[in-house]
Amino acid sequence: MIDYLPWWIGALALSSIVIGFWLSIGRPLGVSGSWARIVMWKEDKTIEQAEAPFRANPEMLKDALMKATIQHFGEAAVYAALSRRGGKPVAAPADHPASMEIKATWTMHAAFLAMLAAGGLAASLMHGPVELRFNLDELHAQMFGSGIGYLMTLFVGGAMVGFGTQLGGGCTSGHGLSGCSRLVPASLIATASFFGTAVAVSLLIHFFGGA
Amino acid sequence: MHPKTKLHLLYGAFGLMMGVTLSLVGFTDFSEVHKMFIFADFRLLCLFATTVGITMLGFAIVARKSSIPKKTFNRGTIPGSVLFGAGWAITGACPSIALVQIGEGKLVALFTVLGILFGVWIYRKLAAGGLQLDTGVCGEN
Repeated sequence: MIDYLPWWIGALALSSIVIGFWLSIGRPLGVSGSWARIVMWKEDKTIEQAEAPFRANPEMLKDALMKATIQHFGEAAVYAALSRRGGKPVAAPADHPASMEIKATWTMHAAFLAMLAAGGLAASLMHGPVELRFNLDELHAQMFGSGIGYLMTLFVGGAMVGFGTQLGGGCTSGHGLSGCSRLVPASLIATASFFGTAVAVSLLIHFFGGA
Repeated sequence: MHPKTKLHLLYGAFGLMMGVTLSLVGFTDFSEVHKMFIFADFRLLCLFATTVGITMLGFAIVARKSSIPKKTFNRGTIPGSVLFGAGWAITGACPSIALVQIGEGKLVALFTVLGILFGVWIYRKLAAGGLQLDTGVCGEN
């Protein structure tokens, strides 16, 4: 049995991570988004390449946007609108950290996910040599058996986590921490839904399933 | 330093810190998570609630004037979260946990990871194929 850190130290550390992530990277922390980005790495590369000339030359983007606007609304309407504003373009909100300008690539998300595993390894090494296990723990093995059936359970459960977080728009970090801490309604509803379901399913397993 | 290199290092550093923390507090331990869900032990529940509380305070102080992107509610929010909750109860893993578990030597979590990849991939295929459920995920909207 491992002695875990007191819950309040864990809470201090985790909240520092969530806030530090926002302060230094300029995006809310969210792990399921990272999964989406590495699964869609090819599309990510295509978009990156298509955007490259615009990033190198922001004027080109402005011109392209203006051309599309004129195409949509007609030249007369656009010039009328511009002259009403004195010809000044709308300024971007100034309160975003500078790194917002640089798009996070899928390789950054891959680095994040890979280092999560490295973190698990580092934490384990603090307790001593790492022991390789072929089940999550004894309780989990009691519930779901062994062999192919056990591995399939993990795979199907994992697929539910993957599909569910994409459909639900976030996970424990994005909805649960980043969202709930700002009382975002969608995140509160999502967190209540996934936590409530996890409680219900766990109680079912506890009372009716396994040993 | 090139800004892209810096961002890679930052993403990596936050991954490492998060992985170490989640492991040291026991969020990667199936029995601990199961005990939280059946209300047999309130330690992790306290941890989660306190984290939300401190983060709320922190955001109120440091990000007062910033407009942090907010997720919006859509018809995928509840069914998606319900599916995720069931998967979490079965595997003991939310999207970050399965990876941390592999690092801890629980090699079977590789199957959870493969499942997550498969689930995300299927969803993206369906979304691209005209299923009008697209949501914008964690941190990306």
